[in-house]
Amino acid sequence: MTASPAGAAPAPARRERLNPLTLLAAAAATAVITTAAGSWALSLAVVAACLGLSAAGGTAGRVLPAAAAVLIPFGLSLLVLHGLFFPEGRTVLAEWGPARVTAEGLDFAGQRIVQLAAVVLALLLFSFSVSIPDLVAALSARGVQGRFAFVLASTLTLLPAIADRARRIRQAQEARGLVVSRSLLARIGAFRLQAVPLVLSLIEDAGTRAAALEARGLSNPGPRTSYREVADSRLQRTVRTVLMLAALAAVVLRVVAPGA
Amino acid sequence: MSSPSLTLPSQERPAARRRRLLEILGALAIAATYVYLVLNQPADITGGPGSASALIALTGFLAGAILLIVAVLPTLPASTLVLIPVALVLNIVLGQFVGSTLVPFYLDAIGTVMIAVLAGPAAGAATGALSSVVWSFFNPTVLPFAAGAALIGCLAGLAARYGLFRRFYLAPVAGFVTGIIAGVVSAPVAAFVFGGTSGVATGAIVSAFRAMGDTLLAAITKQALISDPMDKAIVFTIVAVLVYALPRRARQQFPFLRRHRVLAGNSQPIGTRADAPVKDKAHGTASGSASDSTLNG
Repeated sequence: MTASPAGAAPAPARRERLNPLTLLAAAAATAVITTAAGSWALSLAVVAACLGLSAAGGTAGRVLPAAAAVLIPFGLSLLVLHGLFFPEGRTVLAEWGPARVTAEGLDFAGQRIVQLAAVVLALLLFSFSVSIPDLVAALSARGVQGRFAFVLASTLTLLPAIADRARRIRQAQEARGLVVSRSLLARIGAFRLQAVPLVLSLIEDAGTRAAALEARGLSNPGPRTSYREVADSRLQRTVRTVLMLAALAAVVLRVVAPGA
Repeated sequence: MSSPSLTLPSQERPAARRRRLLEILGALAIAATYVYLVLNQPADITGGPGSASALIALTGFLAGAILLIVAVLPTLPASTLVLIPVALVLNIVLGQFVGSTLVPFYLDAIGTVMIAVLAGPAAGAATGALSSVVWSFFNPTVLPFAAGAALIGCLAGLAARYGLFRRFYLAPVAGFVTGIIAGVVSAPVAAFVFGGTSGVATGAIVSAFRAMGDTLLAAITKQALISDPMDKAIVFTIVAVLVYALPRRARQQFPFLRRHRVLAGNSQPIGTRADAPVKDKAHGTASGSASDSTLNG
């Protein structure tokens, strides 16, 4: 619509020197503008640009499976829903009993899928190419609560650790004789035998961590010092402002435009 | 809420008032967006991509959720704060797993409801909203449901506060009611932002209602009214089992549990330290799950 999102996205070679907030602004503005524009051409262009950037940045191996895991169930669901049942459709292409394949339904589903793919790819490209410690440092430097940064960083590091612990608990219960049979009741029992120790140990750990954080002054008011310097420049600040304004303009234009 | 400082003079008053204002603004933003969407719905849902409604839904719900996070997060004590990442991981792992199976449920709120029961409605709402924000790092499609998740956390906390977790059979009932409200609020997001649902199984249910000639919003709301109450009843039951299985020492970390006598068996008078005898959790209604903790050794 206004700024070309592909042009605003960063060159991968200089990714290290880009501020994570600039990347975030680029991804968010791309998502907002694509949603606001709602055009096939722009959505497809963004999808192509994101694929190209992730291939060039070497993150395609992680972005594509994550995107597929989100988009394939979504796409199937939308295709079945609107492809087969679209009571508002007029142009009937095929008909089996209550199910009618209509051109309008397919068009609606396709448009939604492409639009969604553009947004999902833009945001995933951001989250897989940004360095989380840098993002946390940049957020803290901007006055965003250290607490939010703690939650974000802690979740992302806990995720693999907890998956590992769940696996070990399952092995331990199997060593004690847990056999999962096919019946629903046995499955529920097995779930309980694994979930209860997992949650207990996690809460226990959290209590220890709370004491440690409290001793280091987490709840104290006052400024914090960060040892991590995040690169930033006047140009990047300007780019961020322009991107935010462009996104805002796209939303306003879309909402007030006649026929929207 | 935050731990009292013995050395510094308190400067909390104006900050507390500002946070209360932010909380109210957040709740208002969510409510106003929902009312607007429902009042203006049918015009552009099938006429075009419907992205004006989508944008309004996204902006209103997201702004409300972020205001709630900003208002609540600074007030949480450290023992609750460190639990939030654990809750988020539980939400993400279970939600991701169940979302990919052919069951029309989500089960993506176990962690949120657990925090709400242990630490109260405000903590629950913040956890729900944060869960959507952090999860969107892997799955951006959950971001618009932040307001719905915050609502679930808030309602679960209120249910705990008013004693619905003291009787084991009341927990699923509370979950059912929460599910109805949360489903009705989340349906416009699914309809206007995505034009459908994210799962194959839930999509099939929506298709069935569409085949009967419903509008998209009506079909998705009906699907939500089928899936959500059952889903939340299951989630509340699982959380009740987990919370009753907690040993006393773990429960001691949470003043909310003691202050409002959330669980059966904690029968000390309000305000006293709960280091009384072992006659804890021997009450009939909860004994089935309370005895679980002996099996986990």
